[in-house]
Amino acid sequence: MSAFSNLLIPAVLFFALGFIARLIKSDLRFPPDLAKILSIYLLVSIGLHGGVELARADLGEALAAVFWAFALGLLLPVIGYGLLLATRRVDSLDAAAIAAHYGSVSAGTFLTAIAFLGSQGVDYERYPLIMLAVMESPAIVVGLLLATWSRGRLAAADPERVAARTERGNGGMAEILREAFTNGSVVLLVGSMLIGAIANPKAMESLHPFTTDIFMGMLCLFLLEMGMEAARRFGDFRRVGLVLGGFGVVMPLLGGLIGVMIGHSILGFGVGGTTLVAVLGASASYIAVPPAMRLAVPEANPSFYLTLSLGVTFPFNVVVGIPVYYHLALLMAGGT
Amino acid sequence: MHRLYPQKLVTVITTDVLEDRLVALMRRCGASGYTLLRARGAGAEGLQSGNLDVDTNLLLKVILPTERLTGLLDELDALIGTGYHLTVFVADVAVLGHEKFERPMLA
Repeated sequence: MSAFSNLLIPAVLFFALGFIARLIKSDLRFPPDLAKILSIYLLVSIGLHGGVELARADLGEALAAVFWAFALGLLLPVIGYGLLLATRRVDSLDAAAIAAHYGSVSAGTFLTAIAFLGSQGVDYERYPLIMLAVMESPAIVVGLLLATWSRGRLAAADPERVAARTERGNGGMAEILREAFTNGSVVLLVGSMLIGAIANPKAMESLHPFTTDIFMGMLCLFLLEMGMEAARRFGDFRRVGLVLGGFGVVMPLLGGLIGVMIGHSILGFGVGGTTLVAVLGASASYIAVPPAMRLAVPEANPSFYLTLSLGVTFPFNVVVGIPVYYHLALLMAGGT
Repeated sequence: MHRLYPQKLVTVITTDVLEDRLVALMRRCGASGYTLLRARGAGAEGLQSGNLDVDTNLLLKVILPTERLTGLLDELDALIGTGYHLTVFVADVAVLGHEKFERPMLA
């Protein structure tokens, strides 16, 4: 099997088309909000799809998946934060905001991985889907805790600079937690899964064209737009620099490796499921986390975390990462 | 000849995620209403392409009597102090029917 077989999936080719369209300065531009509409569709349809399957799932296995999704979401930002501080390229508040992105997940990358598995004819467990929903939020919380801690350390080092901030705080932890767990994409995904799980299966069949037949086409459109968005961000690369850019590649590989270990060794998934857990570990959020960080950690520079997550890590995962995680999963499966 | 009354026009450009907080702030400061547009642009925080939620700016315009201006600017200043990037500017404008601008906003 060719190492580049991932590149010949229509969805990935459309991603490349979007990227190239920006590079050659094409006037191709989606109407406003189309990307948002497409991502709503993708979340609803993957949620419905997964819900139907999960209705038949084993509760114990599902709970184990949820537990490890939480663990990944809590662990990855801490690793990322440490790595970022070690690069000495960003201050600790930027590091906290960036790290939160890497603990959370990108549904776009996850769906591309599903398209990849489909093209390889590999079946996969449905539990990673619950993990996708679970992992949107914990990293936000860890990111906020890291930011609060960093703020405290900065205040100790330079009381005048931070004094004005700490006395007012940034909107209250309770409010931010509520926002993290009621984030639109979490509500959509969990809600659609519930609907898929409890709805009358006969009635669900009428949704088949919506959830299944047009799904890959919609994913292609979404990735076309994301390709353009990634290329736009990629232009900001010089602001970020080579070392931070390197973080955008090393961190997903590390997260993917941890994901493979959890998926294979702990959760006992097959190659497909393990690949998906690796993708969850590797991907960085660009939907749920950025607004949360913007609101709660205004001191951090958004062009850092958006460029890294959208301009570096997302394209890396789509083009290189997914086949790498798949081969890692194959290797683990072959090794036992 | 119309009767024109002097008022202050405050324009705020900032990230879309602050909408709820800014609207609450306008209400507290006695603004009679506001107009809000989604906006695109670029600045110190990088490109705001308007394609993603986090990537969208808002442009908020509010007209209010001069005596309420200081309170509003103090609050906006406090927001900037907590680290948010706000572009704020004030202009003198003349309005028709000034009573409209002195009534508080309905919830």
